[in-house]
Amino acid sequence: MQHVTIPQDRLGALIGAGGETLREIEDRAEVRLNVDSETGAVEIETVGDPVTGLKGPDIVRAIGRGFHPDDALTLLDDEMRMFELVDLDDATRNQNDLQRQKGRLIGEDGRTRELMEELSGASVVVYGKTAGIIGGPEQVEVVRSAVEMILDGAPHGAVYSFLERKHNEMQQQGMGYHRYPGGEGGPQEAEADFKIETNPDSDVEFEEPEP
Amino acid sequence: MSSDETWGVAHVYASFNNTIITVTDMTGAETIVKSSGGTVVKQNRDEASPYAAMQMAEAVAEEIKAAGITGLHVRVRGPGGNLNKSPGPGAQATIRALARAGLEIGRIEDVTPIPHDGTRAPKNSGF
Repeated sequence: MQHVTIPQDRLGALIGAGGETLREIEDRAEVRLNVDSETGAVEIETVGDPVTGLKGPDIVRAIGRGFHPDDALTLLDDEMRMFELVDLDDATRNQNDLQRQKGRLIGEDGRTRELMEELSGASVVVYGKTAGIIGGPEQVEVVRSAVEMILDGAPHGAVYSFLERKHNEMQQQGMGYHRYPGGEGGPQEAEADFKIETNPDSDVEFEEPEP
Repeated sequence: MSSDETWGVAHVYASFNNTIITVTDMTGAETIVKSSGGTVVKQNRDEASPYAAMQMAEAVAEEIKAAGITGLHVRVRGPGGNLNKSPGPGAQATIRALARAGLEIGRIEDVTPIPHDGTRAPKNSGF
């Protein structure tokens, strides 16, 4: 049995209209959820297969961190999908700095966040003091390093080109999926400039910092 | 649970830099198989990846089945102490791969050491 606390204003999203969402999570993740609407504490108990039940706490936590329940439930679609949180409180100095960094992460009209989603294939949510990522392992890793670059003060342009490069890399390996209609299109023009196989170590300068 | 089943314990230490799997008997005194990230990948940074964990778990599952064990309890552990409390990306992948290799999974327990207020945490404990 595990406990997860989620903010009051996400309880509605967790439960859904008439408990619909809650029931769907219970069915699909084979868990029993016990919600205390006073404190926001959720008790998660595995009832079925313990391996499926492992994802239960992650789903509840993802909804608590601002994800749409449908996005959170995609964690169950593929066993390699994972949920990761970047704690912005640890990475920022004070309330003002937190506000500024959140703004930088989201970008003008949400452009930065959208680009991160589009080029990596993961879903990204900035909520409260955290940035959450849901996606495959290499998608999450790409977004995580992009977020860390922004928090370290990298200019947006550098982050965009980093994302673009990783996007092309993932496509060439056939690992990432992308959301451009028709499969082609999107930022494809740059493809000729990147020969990935010839230079496998080209990304050393973006090596992920030690967590 | 029928009596011809033999259970073991899989100790999975999943940090952000490596994953170590050790399978022991129920007492934990007798090690049956052990494996770590470096046995399946070349690059150091891939040692903690879920793919490495899956490959390790598959290899481990072969050997423990050969040793006559049919079910495993799992003890997952992250770095703990004043370091990161959550298990790394290899933990879930390991458990899933073990389950898929046809081993019965019993209890899953988190045994990350939690300080009852120990030493001072390192400055800037990551993001």
